[in-house]
Amino acid sequence: MASRLDDHQIALRVLRELHPGQTIALGTGLPSTLCRVAAPDVGLRFLAESGVLGYQGSSQGATGSPGVFGSDGSPVSLLPGSSLNSLDETAAMLRGGHVDFAVVQPAQVDSQGSFTHWTSAATPGLHAPGTSLDLAAGARRLVAMMHHTAADGSSNIVGECRGVIDGAACVDLIVTDLAVISVSPDFGNSKEGLVLTEVAPGWRADDLVALTDAPLKVSPNLTEMRFDSISGPVPEKVPEKVYTSGPLAVGDIPDGATIMIDGFAGPGGMAHYLLVSLRDQGAKDLTIISNTAGIARVINFGTPPGRQAIDHSILIDNNQVRKAIASYPVSPSVSRPSAFELAYRKGDVELELVPQGTLAERLRAGGAGIGGFYTPTGVGTLIAEGKETRTIEGKEYLLERGLRADYCLIRGYKADTLGNVVYRGTSRNFNSVMAPAAAVTIVEVDEIVAPGDLDPELIVTPGIYVSRVVRRPPEFSAYE
Amino acid sequence: MALGKVYPSPEEALADVFDGATILVGGAVGAGLPENLLRALSNGGARGLTLVYSAGAGSISSTAGNSSGKSSIESLVMEGRVSRIISPMPFPPNAGGQIEDSWRQGEIQIEILPQGVLAERLRAGGAGLGGVFLPTALGTRFQEGRERREIDGKSYLLETPLKADFALLKARAADTFGSLVYQGSGRNWGPVMAMAARIGVAEVGRICEPGGLDPEAVVTPGIFVNRLVECP
Repeated sequence: MASRLDDHQIALRVLRELHPGQTIALGTGLPSTLCRVAAPDVGLRFLAESGVLGYQGSSQGATGSPGVFGSDGSPVSLLPGSSLNSLDETAAMLRGGHVDFAVVQPAQVDSQGSFTHWTSAATPGLHAPGTSLDLAAGARRLVAMMHHTAADGSSNIVGECRGVIDGAACVDLIVTDLAVISVSPDFGNSKEGLVLTEVAPGWRADDLVALTDAPLKVSPNLTEMRFDSISGPVPEKVPEKVYTSGPLAVGDIPDGATIMIDGFAGPGGMAHYLLVSLRDQGAKDLTIISNTAGIARVINFGTPPGRQAIDHSILIDNNQVRKAIASYPVSPSVSRPSAFELAYRKGDVELELVPQGTLAERLRAGGAGIGGFYTPTGVGTLIAEGKETRTIEGKEYLLERGLRADYCLIRGYKADTLGNVVYRGTSRNFNSVMAPAAAVTIVEVDEIVAPGDLDPELIVTPGIYVSRVVRRPPEFSAYE
Repeated sequence: MALGKVYPSPEEALADVFDGATILVGGAVGAGLPENLLRALSNGGARGLTLVYSAGAGSISSTAGNSSGKSSIESLVMEGRVSRIISPMPFPPNAGGQIEDSWRQGEIQIEILPQGVLAERLRAGGAGLGGVFLPTALGTRFQEGRERREIDGKSYLLETPLKADFALLKARAADTFGSLVYQGSGRNWGPVMAMAARIGVAEVGRICEPGGLDPEAVVTPGIFVNRLVECP
């Protein structure tokens, strides 16, 4: 009989599924080898369960970067553009749907695409899953990387998992030392069957059917597995995040879009260039989510003498806003109402009032894949009207829901071309919770730098949350 | 030094750990285990402890003053200090050592949680939330006993906040207000565990005066950290 692929070859085959610019979360065991097999210049962004995003495996015996470890605890090296994250943040990246791929090593996968993680199988009676549930529930596509049969020769691919389930109907592709099996490619999300699409060199479809303890259809397009090394840059290009102008960066915002706008009352956080670009672009019926609904004009924060203030008001004046979800929608001065107030009094705009801390938490929930949460803020006030209240351990809470948007316009200080962002001073404000909560996050920065120019320990918003970066032109430099 | 957060030794920083306390232990695969604080916990007398820790932390061996070959947490279990463990993976699969033995003999209880659920329950505890709706455990054994709720067309499970009496953390440096910066993947559980404990204790490589750390670089603000010990 032909020989089985070794772990290195399995890893090479898994890598063929991945594309430059994608983020791939690696579980413990076999998947943690992928970062050692992939060439660093291919542009794959690995996420380790230890909290490192964008790293390279160190070869045997190498020391890696100081204090930086991969999913299996071995030293790894930071790459230009790496960032370091806490593990609550890493879990939020997965749960919030920000990770393209995850790779796990199941002990068993069944024909529904459910699996038992190897760590659960290896801790009998206890079934310790580690991070496998996070990987399974969060990633957009889940690859099972495993050996086809167990040490006793029994199949690890089964009709129904005999052990505990660590992920239900979530595996999309199985790559083993003998074959590639697709889970229900024809049935959308219903995960109804296993289809053999590739066999290892020297193996026949019949061999695999015999070695697999689950119904296995054979693809009419069955091919031999390829696991040739990806060496050097692949022709496919990493999607470009740097946009050459504000109008290009906001060009596709449609009428009716929901848009988060960064900024606190004071100077420093407002994406002036993007706001002017959006005004000139003209999208209508917008819902804006923001701390204020625009008060720079009445308090002159951040506006150079003799210049017109730039904030949400320019969109309101241009009749682009239908609704605001905000904490401070009014001017601090009764005699000098904001543009939003005037429009609200005329009935031109709607308002959903959200306390500032609740707004921040709803945004974080939206970005972190949390459906809702119980908060004590607002209990007994008008904010509680129409909301579920619940007493938990003697204390009253309100149910608030996660908040997401189509776009997010924020201002950073510096970004690298991978979208990693640092801020300056209090301009950080809502950025770290807004950036993950929008489908498309656009960042306006004073300076765009090369990957590696930002200290990975200092990156506040990792590039995983940022789709577009634009440099703020000099004519806006007078605006704080 | 300012505010009295700096303690002369790990033992003094943990002198009031009481029997039955719940203790969060930072650190994960490879980095961030507060070994000096764990040794002080061992030198102290508290028993019946509940330890909460990450996948990977149970197997990290103390390098300082430990010739037993046991990991720091294993040693505490062996000494009979621990009654309960909450962890996504309390010991290495296929190499469970003393922790697994004690559990199999019924000397300690273990509660298993998915790692991301543990992180979010700690954050909820630290952020004053009454509970959070997470999708993570749907379709698995961890959905048992959890309230299920449809929100905007998606299913979620209600997870309750998790708080603790103490958090034992390791950081690269601190100022005397307790602001912390980490190194590399040593950041892991620091931020969320510091929030979730009544008393956050950090062993750090260096303690400086306020102003000695770049405010843009501070990861855990001092408001979450009550005690510091310099362990160069």
